[in-house]
Amino acid sequence: MAEAAVPDYESAEQYTRAFRVGALGLGWRRQLGPPDLSLAAEEAEDADAAVAAALGCAPGTAAELRAVCSIDMLMPSEKEEDPDVIPEDSSLLTLRIRKKALERREETIIVDRACRQETLTYEMESHATGKRPDNTTDLIEEGELLLTLNIFYPVIFQKHKDHKPYQTVRVLGSQKLTELRDSISCVSDLQIGGEFSSQPDQAPEHISKDHYKSAFFYFEGIFYNDKRYPECRDLSRTIIEWSESHDRGYENLQSVKMEDYVFNDLALKIGFPYLYCHQGDCEHIIIITDIRLIHHDDCLDRNLYPLLVKKHWLCTRKCFVCKMYTARWVTNRDSLAPGDPCFFCDVCFRMLHYDAEGNKLGEFLAYPYVDPGIFN
Amino acid sequence: MSAVPGLKEDCEELLGAFLQADTVRFERFAELWRERRFHTVFYGKMRALQRNKLTEKTLDLAQQYFLPPYSFQIRVGALYLLYGLYNAQLCQPKQKIRIALKDWPEIQKFHLDLLDSQHYDAAYILRRLRLARAFHFTAMPKLLTYRSKKKIEENNFKEEFRDPCNRVNSLITNDVLEELMNIHDHYQKMKCVISADKSQPDKALSLIKDDFVVNLKDITLEHQEWQQNRGKLLQSVKETDETENKKKEETLLKSEGSERASALARIKYRSYSAAVEVSKSRRHRQVQLESSKPGSSCGKSPSRSKKTSREPQSPRRRGEMQVAKETLTRHIGMPIITEEDS
Repeated sequence: MAEAAVPDYESAEQYTRAFRVGALGLGWRRQLGPPDLSLAAEEAEDADAAVAAALGCAPGTAAELRAVCSIDMLMPSEKEEDPDVIPEDSSLLTLRIRKKALERREETIIVDRACRQETLTYEMESHATGKRPDNTTDLIEEGELLLTLNIFYPVIFQKHKDHKPYQTVRVLGSQKLTELRDSISCVSDLQIGGEFSSQPDQAPEHISKDHYKSAFFYFEGIFYNDKRYPECRDLSRTIIEWSESHDRGYENLQSVKMEDYVFNDLALKIGFPYLYCHQGDCEHIIIITDIRLIHHDDCLDRNLYPLLVKKHWLCTRKCFVCKMYTARWVTNRDSLAPGDPCFFCDVCFRMLHYDAEGNKLGEFLAYPYVDPGIFN
Repeated sequence: MSAVPGLKEDCEELLGAFLQADTVRFERFAELWRERRFHTVFYGKMRALQRNKLTEKTLDLAQQYFLPPYSFQIRVGALYLLYGLYNAQLCQPKQKIRIALKDWPEIQKFHLDLLDSQHYDAAYILRRLRLARAFHFTAMPKLLTYRSKKKIEENNFKEEFRDPCNRVNSLITNDVLEELMNIHDHYQKMKCVISADKSQPDKALSLIKDDFVVNLKDITLEHQEWQQNRGKLLQSVKETDETENKKKEETLLKSEGSERASALARIKYRSYSAAVEVSKSRRHRQVQLESSKPGSSCGKSPSRSKKTSREPQSPRRRGEMQVAKETLTRHIGMPIITEEDS
């Protein structure tokens, strides 16, 4: 598999060729000098002598340049303007269009305030900006790579037909794949298996995450299986056996251990869908949207990565009775319920289905329910 | 990412004015910027999330003009534009300019060009942007999310901003010509050495046209001139009326071609598709010509193929432009080939 050192499009504007992530880091570090890679704060005005040396001009020219090319030449000299107010007679088409749009908004919207989804989105994007760790050993080094991944939810609702919801995670090049795996929160991990209509108080503490620890990532023909615990099985074996059984046109699928690899070791395509599978059949599509060098304004605390910067807001299903609390139980074939399946919160569930002594009333099957919106 | 409405027009207007000013001095750019009060492009009541997105898109648009295939002056203008936009933005912390690894060598070359030509103001500004850490050094210029593109955004950036497509010139550079000359001389000398008469090569050894290097140089120059003329004609086409253009074309036709050529041109003008077909059929004819004259000297065929190969390229490229301009500009783009043997 040809790995180009410099990533470029394989399919124009869609995805790139495969390349080794670590090679990108090397490529950039070779091209840039210390001031570009540095994570220190912005440098103040540099001396004329430094400018003259860098540009190969006379120091007098350097001083002239500083005056002529200063940003003040582009900014207004008069008193502070209010950036919220668009000037009346602007020559810019952008502003004229924007003004009309804003005027339309003012006429139609009664209360112009950020809804909670917007607040959440903004907060998630920006909460970690500029953070620094307390412990300097946790400080991220210069030249570290930052990958941005979109992990799609496996939840299939009709309304998500066109735009599948996803969460966006930022991860460092030097982090292990297992760290990403641990950070992915999926509702299927929290499922509790079993029917508990006869013993509602004994819903077990063990969730699926504890029972079924196997998982794998699939990147560019290699399955990275989680083998940290003895219970972990190689889920990818089935696939590899299937592909090897006949000549299906898939070359060389390999299976390796997830915990042995960091992101810098991987060969990836940007913009190309890959797979994360856990719980045996819960599959998430993963797309790497961006890889870049770490920057002074990013969060530099290693412990906060993988960092969740965006997640989709899923409306939780409420109890059918009180319509207030999130559903915790779901019943099937319930003679007491108006529909099949029917959702209840804990309190309403017990009040309806059990008498004062805790005896089961009527026939039904009850399962603990974990709503996908639980991560909101 | 959907575009910011009106932004492309504003940027192109500013860069166009900078191009007209025919200078690369920052002072001139600053004047144009201040005239338009371009720093207000971020104004408008909006919340932080929207403002971040808007600024990101603005910088992304301006960054595209900074890279090839745009002409040197436009790239310098784009650099100034980026400087202005980066500093005028209202986001906190500032949105950065994305640079992909594949584009970095171009930028390095650009920087060296600036230093060589002593455009210190541009070099200083590039330096300032770097020191201000205005760049994100990325793998690819845009975020790639595998979105199936429902509408393919054709970035019809202005032709004027582009450098004229110098494929011929990039192939036949001065160095190449010089080397060819040297090899040619060396070859002649070798022939003399092995011939009976030391002062000139044997008649039996004359297998190539002696002056083919000179011919090559002349043809390349001619091509360059033709390109420049076409560029000028394109400019004047935009400014004058249609009727005037038709007249210009006719005069152009008459001056350049023989009768047969002008008849051909008239056919081409009448329908676009015919034009393409003609060129394709010409290409087939061209192949026949070469093969039908096996004994012809090698010097002749490269020049012929170079001349006629120009033709199929231009209609294809022109194909990207809008329909309104299509027939006109494509027609202007088509040089009338003066047949050498007819």
